[in-house]
Amino acid sequence: MTKLTRVVSVVAAASMVATAFVAAAVPSQAAATKTLVIATDVPLQGSSFDSNDSTNKAIALYLKSIGGKVGKYSITLKYYDDATATAGAWDAGQCAQNAQAHVANKAEIAVIGTYNSGCAKIEVPILNQDPKGPMLMVSQANTNPGLTKSWNPGEPDVYYPTGVRNYARVCTTDDNQGSAAAQFAKSIGVKSVYVLNDTQTYGQGVAQAFTTEAKKDGLNVLSSGPAGQGWDATQSDYTALFQKIAPLNPDMVYFGGIYDNNGGQLLKDKVAVLGDNTKVKLMAPDGFTGYPQFNSDPNAAGAYLTFAGLSNELLVANNPTGAGAKFLASYKKTYGKAPVGSYPIYGVAALQVILAAIAKSDGTRKGVTEAVFSGTGVTIPAAQSVLGKALHISTLTGDTTAKDITVEQIVGGQETTLKAWTVK
Amino acid sequence: MSIITRKKSGKKQRAPLSQRTWSIGFLSLAVVIYIFYTYIVPHTSDGFQSQIQTWFPPSALNEALVWVIAALGLNIVVGYAGLLDLGFVAFWAIGGYTAGWLMSGFFNQWNIHFGSESAKVIPGIHLSFWLVLILGALLCAFFGIVIGAPTLRLKSDYLAIVTLGFGEIIPQIFVNGENIHGFNLSNGTKGISPVDSIGIFGKRLGPFDLNYKYMIFVFMAALMVFISLRLRSGRLGRAWLAIREDELAASMMGVPLMKTKLAAYAVGAISGGLAGVAYATHVNGIFAERFQFSISIILLAMVVLGGMGNVWGVMVGALLIAWVNSTGLPALGNEINSTFKTNINFPSYTFLIFGALLILMMLFRREGLLPESRLKLMLHESDAEEGNEAPHDQISEEGAM
Repeated sequence: MTKLTRVVSVVAAASMVATAFVAAAVPSQAAATKTLVIATDVPLQGSSFDSNDSTNKAIALYLKSIGGKVGKYSITLKYYDDATATAGAWDAGQCAQNAQAHVANKAEIAVIGTYNSGCAKIEVPILNQDPKGPMLMVSQANTNPGLTKSWNPGEPDVYYPTGVRNYARVCTTDDNQGSAAAQFAKSIGVKSVYVLNDTQTYGQGVAQAFTTEAKKDGLNVLSSGPAGQGWDATQSDYTALFQKIAPLNPDMVYFGGIYDNNGGQLLKDKVAVLGDNTKVKLMAPDGFTGYPQFNSDPNAAGAYLTFAGLSNELLVANNPTGAGAKFLASYKKTYGKAPVGSYPIYGVAALQVILAAIAKSDGTRKGVTEAVFSGTGVTIPAAQSVLGKALHISTLTGDTTAKDITVEQIVGGQETTLKAWTVK
Repeated sequence: MSIITRKKSGKKQRAPLSQRTWSIGFLSLAVVIYIFYTYIVPHTSDGFQSQIQTWFPPSALNEALVWVIAALGLNIVVGYAGLLDLGFVAFWAIGGYTAGWLMSGFFNQWNIHFGSESAKVIPGIHLSFWLVLILGALLCAFFGIVIGAPTLRLKSDYLAIVTLGFGEIIPQIFVNGENIHGFNLSNGTKGISPVDSIGIFGKRLGPFDLNYKYMIFVFMAALMVFISLRLRSGRLGRAWLAIREDELAASMMGVPLMKTKLAAYAVGAISGGLAGVAYATHVNGIFAERFQFSISIILLAMVVLGGMGNVWGVMVGALLIAWVNSTGLPALGNEINSTFKTNINFPSYTFLIFGALLILMMLFRREGLLPESRLKLMLHESDAEEGNEAPHDQISEEGAM
């Protein structure tokens, strides 16, 4: 029985220490100006580290440039990492934990993030049910359409248990890119298309959007299924697939997917069986952009590509004296190199939306969310917007109205900008 | 805090504590933590609360308990029966998907509601959490036998390779299971979310009822501990140990190898299934990409670090590593970075730290933090001074439970 007493006494001592801790904790002093915390929630481990680290840096730099204040509130940042070393990427458990922490940390007012749509699908319902909220989340990078609009059965309502919206995003969704591609295809005189997808989330998303829009625009979609025919990335040869397509005589083939999924072989067999890209046109989403290997492949000549949003280069080219170009210059000056990828600048755009919402609100979570989703909503004028054009968040869905799609064509082994396409 | 306390209480004792003492210690600690989070923390200052959120967030505690449940299962396979399993993540995945299938609107072509608190209008299969726990455990037990069967004639490395394969195959099926001849089994990389919340006594747990979830997870961990200890001291447990020590000798002595090994796989898998279901309700969804090889390795590290074959050691190991992985290392890193104005990305060194830790453990404390006394004796056989603890101590202790 002495052993038992020993264990119980140790446990009791531990609990007493814990209580003493509580008693000793100093109550936080009330600041003169109210300080609000904006959280960023992105994976800071694994392959997306560089891009997300740039996002955090860009957000901090922008906040510093405006003096860390909006209206009567001073703003500080808190960085959350939704990745774990075990997963080497975003981790569902960590996302759930972060969402709980956002709600529990009383000073936190809104969240910038997440980077991955899957993580947002975990966090949004939790933030939505915040008793002091709902708490606003603005994503710079989630492109999965289901978060804001009807997509898979039950979406997007499953993510908003209270029936009130609290999630917005400043980037374009996969379906817009698919739609833009279909509209563009029609504009260049395409009458019939055959759609392929790489069977992954992203590829199926764009292929499905392309198919839907193509049908709506009166194009003859020769593939069956909502997202067309899948191609298996592990196959070594796609001759049989294209031989099946050949008798249908499509004007265009659409590759919904990413180049990494054996896109090179797919392209080779497409040209071998159906002919080059002037005979049967080829179009692909931004999963095929940014690959020098694809661009320099002679088989790719003449292929059309779409890109969701504006790359940093395009942003500067479109508006060399705008807020975006200036911000990118100051980022380069401060950190010695340009931000990695296009998402950091969209992170700043998300911050601008949140700051505008705070300025319009009473400084509570509920007020900030309502500022975005009721009345006139939030608009960032073109002069201030780092995206170089006016940014408005739809009060109904939380999607951005700045749906920029860039259409490119492979000419002489280079991606050349053909035209900017605005989704109708 | 809790982890360290328990560790100390174990270390201070010179003679090993009896299982009954440990059980009482475990339960009273669980109660103290519950009281601390439910009644004390909400009344503290904001500063203290945010410290708690940084260092010991309640949802990290719940996740750590999920790891504990899974690690206890792996302990039966690796620690008791000595069958090296590198694919334990498969059972976690199967359990998780059982919850995804039976507790969500995923199969919206059917409309089955049973014992679930979710709204009747939502299509899909919505069963009670408790029923799904049992079904998940049974499904995993079945798969435990399926994986166990082809490995019966294999030993050591070869066995590990087969389990590794199994651990890779199952998650791949979920990643690619979106279109199996037109049938959507797993929704591919998009995963299944959200999953129904837990219903208990007619109440439906909301996302912030972490204390209830904590109690449920503690109960599940306690159940696994109970099962482990009872089996361990019984006929089956002694047969497992016999196989672990010397398979050939065990079979000569009349231990039925096939039956005993399959039982170890099945019981271990049950635990993995429970962890999977608990995990799905914890994160409110299930995603195929999470179930990677590294999860199996971390689980194995928990078992080895904690003390193979000792449920309490495994529990300490699991709590410790889960905490380091999810909260401890990032929080410590931020603290160091802000104190010394450095900019080191600590979490990226997790595996380096784990590796170093495991090497140190193997050099200085091969038997784990809280070793099983039998294993400790075996590993220190060559040590000069030894003999304070006789192996029969262990058996009599465990029989006392």
